[in-house]
Amino acid sequence: MANITVDGKTLEVKEGALLIEELLTNNINIPHFCYHPALGKDGNCRMCMVEIEGQKRPQIACDTPIKNGMIIRTKGANIDRVKRSILELELINHPIDCPICDQAGECQLQNYYMDVGLYESRLSTPKVHGQKHVDLGANVVLDQERCVLCTRCVRFTKNITKTDELGVFARADHSVISTFPGQPLKDPYAMNVVDLCPVGALTSKDFRFHKRVWFLQTEEAICNRCARGCSLYVDHHKEKYKDEMIYRYRPRFNDKVNGYFICDTGRLSYTYENENRNFHPMIRGKESEYEYAEGKLLRLVKRNIGKTLFVISSDLSLEEMVRIKALATMYDAQISAYEPNRFDEHFGDDFLKCNDLSSNARALPLVGIEDHYEGFALGIDKAELIVFIGRSDSGLLKDFSCTTKSIAIVYGYQPEVNEGLELLLPITSHTGRAGTFINCDGIVQFSQCAISHNSEHKKLLELLAMLIGDTLFTCSDVWNEIVCKIECFKELKFDELPKNSQKICL
Amino acid sequence: MGLKIVKREGKSFKDRIYLPAILSGMMITLGHFLRNLRDTSNIKTMNYPEEQPQDITARYRGVHRLTKREDESVRCVACFMCATACPAECIFIEAEERNDGVDEKMPKVFTIDLLECVFCGACVEACPCDAIRMDTGIFTFVAQKREDFLLTKDKLLSFEAKKEDA
Repeated sequence: MANITVDGKTLEVKEGALLIEELLTNNINIPHFCYHPALGKDGNCRMCMVEIEGQKRPQIACDTPIKNGMIIRTKGANIDRVKRSILELELINHPIDCPICDQAGECQLQNYYMDVGLYESRLSTPKVHGQKHVDLGANVVLDQERCVLCTRCVRFTKNITKTDELGVFARADHSVISTFPGQPLKDPYAMNVVDLCPVGALTSKDFRFHKRVWFLQTEEAICNRCARGCSLYVDHHKEKYKDEMIYRYRPRFNDKVNGYFICDTGRLSYTYENENRNFHPMIRGKESEYEYAEGKLLRLVKRNIGKTLFVISSDLSLEEMVRIKALATMYDAQISAYEPNRFDEHFGDDFLKCNDLSSNARALPLVGIEDHYEGFALGIDKAELIVFIGRSDSGLLKDFSCTTKSIAIVYGYQPEVNEGLELLLPITSHTGRAGTFINCDGIVQFSQCAISHNSEHKKLLELLAMLIGDTLFTCSDVWNEIVCKIECFKELKFDELPKNSQKICL
Repeated sequence: MGLKIVKREGKSFKDRIYLPAILSGMMITLGHFLRNLRDTSNIKTMNYPEEQPQDITARYRGVHRLTKREDESVRCVACFMCATACPAECIFIEAEERNDGVDEKMPKVFTIDLLECVFCGACVEACPCDAIRMDTGIFTFVAQKREDFLLTKDKLLSFEAKKEDA
């Protein structure tokens, strides 16, 4: 440990650590482009200048190891003048096309210019021009003119994905980021360079021109694309006279799960939340009122006491599973979570992606729900009513003789086939309800995102409370009443989960 | 505490029969009528709409228009600054990629709902490209249906700046 003084305040920090790391952890604003906690220091942008007592000139905070007794100044006229000069240099050939730049609003250049810049341009010679809207592949668009050459993207492909697609080409003023000829960006994590880029040089083709970022509202969620359960930010906005739309997913830092990154498949899975959400309840192929369809489900379940099979998805949250278990006990029904397509051998890799595509299958044994084929087949034989919850793959039943059985689907997305169904009841989709998920390493995370849409679709927990006939409508109700009594969750505190995901032994 | 005694008016016989007051009022009206009959140019009202107002200045905030570049293409780059600044939230924009080499971005949809607009001019102030102005001099906009008050991009581009009368 070392004691340093920053702007007159004494801080206790780690000796030998990088100065910028400790300053940023202590919420001290240090402008920087090239430093990123996942990529380390590079020392090329010179933006993070601080004054250190005893040193003749200002030093960069990102490449200065901490020594005991350092006295540091990050503010003041002197250091602002240095920062302004460096910013002026960074901006010399910048096209200043903020009106058409997608980064505007979350651009570090803009922010720093408003903080310490605000100068008149002194450039008398023409600006050096680069290529604009270059398609690098993998949904990444490059604007060479806006680039400040911090090389975060280059270091990402070099150190993190180890694919080395990007590099800095040419010299001096003409230096540009580009790919090698005939070798576009194509690694499955490539879109992370868009988040890494502190300016508008790398933008996402998928998000390009769809929304100005200052309109977006951000919620915290968990990705449900695979068993990793990466932490996400969900950026959404409700335009006037329109329904809520999700515009993008961004990685949310979580050192226990995904670090600073997510895979492109997970990032683009937001489209599914927008497209298949709006559909109506159907009873025997006819559109129905929501309340009537709800009542129909209750009647169906009541009529088939002892003869019901709940086929649940392993993507349901822990709370929902616990409640379905309670529902099944109440109506003497069977539950199966058998999913033949749960594993995809081609999806996983050694970084974040997992072959197991189920976001919460680890919770099944903890709650006491079986997912093997035998239980599923046996359950179907005995059942008169088969209710699919959180999934719509009723095609599974075609190997069984189910002509006399009633089939119901309770799902958040429009099913591809809805013929031969007794009931189709929509519920809110993944980002429409909160819930707890357990990832492949046993990390328990709480997904808070519950975006409410114009539709009348209920959350599954509300629906289950109606079926069971009690008032456990929210996740915290279910935790306090049931989950906290399950052995492996006894140690966990529900209130702390959103901020701090915790590991349990599976 | 001093008291002020206010004299009550209208108690006299002349006041109570009303007629002298009414007659004097009608004399004033008759005077104005005869004066206006002799010199019609002095009348403060106008025969709108046959007669149009002549005092619409260049700074008057009329119906909006979208300006054009030298090559007659739309100047707007769909940066959404106007929609952001708009207090009535009456500007609806959808952006799209522009591939003609002039610029990168342009509006696919640019609609102003005149029924919601409060004609404050914040959009004009906010525009970084001088792409929206309110200098058409159109002070009244008439339509039969609510939908017709939605000014689309084409309509906004078709308006011209008001010509200054020499």
